[in-house]
Amino acid sequence: MRSFVLTATGRDRPGIVAAVTRVLLDLGVNIEDAEMAILRGHFAIVLILSAPDELDEAQLREKLQAVGRELPLEAVTLSAVEQLAGGSPEPTHAISVYGADRPGIVHGVAEALARHEVNVVDLSTRIVGDDPIYVMLLEVALPPSLDDAALDELLARVGQELGVDVSARVLDRDVL
Amino acid sequence: MTSSEVAARKVLRYPHPSLKQRCEPIPPGDELDRVASDLLDTMRSFPGCVGLAAPQIDELVRVVVVDVSEHKKATASHGLLVLANPVVVETSGDELGREGCLSIPDLTANVRRATWIRVEALVPDGENVAIETGGFEARALLHELDHLDGILFLDRIASRADLFARKRYA
Repeated sequence: MRSFVLTATGRDRPGIVAAVTRVLLDLGVNIEDAEMAILRGHFAIVLILSAPDELDEAQLREKLQAVGRELPLEAVTLSAVEQLAGGSPEPTHAISVYGADRPGIVHGVAEALARHEVNVVDLSTRIVGDDPIYVMLLEVALPPSLDDAALDELLARVGQELGVDVSARVLDRDVL
Repeated sequence: MTSSEVAARKVLRYPHPSLKQRCEPIPPGDELDRVASDLLDTMRSFPGCVGLAAPQIDELVRVVVVDVSEHKKATASHGLLVLANPVVVETSGDELGREGCLSIPDLTANVRRATWIRVEALVPDGENVAIETGGFEARALLHELDHLDGILFLDRIASRADLFARKRYA
């Protein structure tokens, strides 16, 4: 089996997923994990694909480009990737960051987390209101070297530097 | 209405710094009466509003008002509650429910709250009370009590799927 990452972006409209997946189905390509989002009317999808070894990759690319022109999409990319064992790291904490909008909020927080080997597993941001408020929600996985108190301290420092409010809580996984 | 004068105050919006302060306890007396009365008038001036906390009108004292009696989601209701120095002494259960806030008018979120609580507080005439409640009234109280410690519902969202923009695009 071979693995690919497919991404597609474009102005949102009905039928994008249907058109892209039609190509995949026709060529015997399986969709493993997929995630899509619509941000301010723009559609984006990321799919992890698995395909038989005998797949005609050139034909897949050609058909995807054709769909991209017809819809139209802004971009379609297909990259051969390694098949990775295991899934995503399990997030341990949820973090809220919010404040008056200003440049550098995402970078400032991400940079501080990266410096402490904190893995960002999920991130989304929204900007709302007439006096815009920026809201960023993250799920992160802490390295063993960092405990809850150290995370709180790190975030308090970042929040102060950036002039935003930051809070974290332990993610409670519902276990049945 | 028996009040002679209605004094609806301006509700602060985030990022006003007063919304992120820890508020001070307040004794019974004229100041408590004034804050409680202003909170009540302000809450009543927003149709559908079920609760308000003193820092939202820039009074950094531990006073909240809650009244869910007209709300369709309320299963339990004590009518109008005006509470000073409220403390949650016991909780049980938890569930997700949608919350909004006059101080963050453009967002709503699903927030996990206890389904049953026991709150002890002072009422304006100086009496100590204990209130046990559940469901929506418990949620409203917990939301307002958070304000007294500078905690907004944005601090309690567990995942990105729980945050929603209010439709106000026009």
